[in-house]
Amino acid sequence: MRQLPIVFKRQLASYASSPSTYLSVAAFLVLCAALGLHANHWMERNSSDLQAFFELHPWLYLLLIPILSTQLWADERDTSFADTMNTLPVTTVERVIGKFMAAWVVCGIALLLNFPLVIAVNYLGMADNIAITSQFLASWLLAGSYLSVGCFVCALAHQRLAILLLTLGLLLTVSGLSSILDALEHQAPLWVVDSLISLDPIFRFSTMDSGKLTLHDSLYFISMILAFLSATTITLNYKHS
Amino acid sequence: MIEISNLTKYLGRKQIISNFSFSAQAQECVGVFGKSGAGKTTLLSLIAGAIKPTSGQINIQGFNTQTHSLQARKAIGYQPQGGLSHPQMTVKNLLNFIAAIRGFRGAEKRSQVGMAAARLELLPVLNCPIDLLSLGVKRRVAIAQAILHSPSVLLLDEPTEGLCPAQRLKFRGLIQSLTEDMTVIIASRHYGELADICTRALVIANGNLMADASLSELQRSSRHFRAVTLAADSPLDLLAMAVIPGVAGIEEDRDTPGTVTVLAMPGHSIFPSINALIAHRGWNITALNLEPGRLDDVVHHLSQEASS
Repeated sequence: MRQLPIVFKRQLASYASSPSTYLSVAAFLVLCAALGLHANHWMERNSSDLQAFFELHPWLYLLLIPILSTQLWADERDTSFADTMNTLPVTTVERVIGKFMAAWVVCGIALLLNFPLVIAVNYLGMADNIAITSQFLASWLLAGSYLSVGCFVCALAHQRLAILLLTLGLLLTVSGLSSILDALEHQAPLWVVDSLISLDPIFRFSTMDSGKLTLHDSLYFISMILAFLSATTITLNYKHS
Repeated sequence: MIEISNLTKYLGRKQIISNFSFSAQAQECVGVFGKSGAGKTTLLSLIAGAIKPTSGQINIQGFNTQTHSLQARKAIGYQPQGGLSHPQMTVKNLLNFIAAIRGFRGAEKRSQVGMAAARLELLPVLNCPIDLLSLGVKRRVAIAQAILHSPSVLLLDEPTEGLCPAQRLKFRGLIQSLTEDMTVIIASRHYGELADICTRALVIANGNLMADASLSELQRSSRHFRAVTLAADSPLDLLAMAVIPGVAGIEEDRDTPGTVTVLAMPGHSIFPSINALIAHRGWNITALNLEPGRLDDVVHHLSQEASS
């Protein structure tokens, strides 16, 4: 894993030099603030945490994550550069994790840029900062799991538009899983519905975004990240052979 | 240095490389010659580790590219066909990135990047985005990244394509100096340009190794070996040349009127007789060459042999 920091730094520099990163982060922040304040009436809730904002994140990530995902392997779309990378003493695992970590850090920065909300809630004198920290962590874990899905899609598709649409479609399906489960409630056996509910990331996130960060739910997201990153590595190694 | 045994590569159902074996030692410059689609690029990609073989072994400095791929990759420098491109990076950023991956840090990294850039005359374009550079410069960037860690084995895929004649001349000098330190393998369709650089040639056709010999041996097997090419302002008496003992035939160059090549039978030297004929007839000859043999002729012949 000695080359991981080099890949990570290179990918971070790639995000920093791309206007689409700034645009997508800005759109995420503006929508987060606007929808939280106006649509979810945060001020009227008189809440001590930022649940009104965080409960929107699974939907707002549908905007941010696909755009970040399309940039993950963008530099290796050029076959000569990809061929050169394949001949360098760097493993596929290092490349996958390095790139994923850089994208996850960008998501973390986008989340941290919500700090005016934290200041506001503290200024109003009703802040539960432990719950807010848990909400931030939960949202970051959700972003990581969504990004790992995007990373896997990048390993399958080459076209930027295909990656964007596939990631968006997959995340939309995941986000809409609870609605599908509601529809299935009376048709499918209870154990099937229960099993699917336990796999639903939105359901997991909804238990965490209230400020209760449990090891059980955190491990769910971490295992999802690991599963998709492993799938990405296997797919890339298969393609390489 | 490099040992390849029974290398085979299938892409889908198509066999690209078939049971290929050869070895190369240090300070050897090996030319891999063949027509377009013969399997040259695939062979280089397999040696470089960019793709994995279907079967067979590749050992670089004793390291198997399958089982000890990282160690093998450290010993290799690879210039991909068509040069190197990147949507965002400048030449300097790319060389710095590759140098960091190659394990160089701080002042050592700066010095290695500086040396490679100076050797390939990239210093004026060091801060230019690679995507904006011409194909020839992109190819030089690709060569620079391949040599910046002074590899034991340097793999070059069509390195002279897109270079102007002056750059080709400089490139020849560069390869000759690199061959003093490493094994150089050059895949090319431009055999003539590399004839005086390579110490050995592999001729590949349809993924099969058709010949593994020194350049002089290959040239000897050409039908143009010891042929005499002459050019004159006035029409030449072809019949007079055809009756010279040892003449196998006469070829007229359709592209340059007035130029003919007189082919020699194997084991015959016709140059003195043609010289004597020119002196006797008083022809005004503008060019007279004794041919060492044409590589493109040999490669063409071997490629036809492979496909028949």
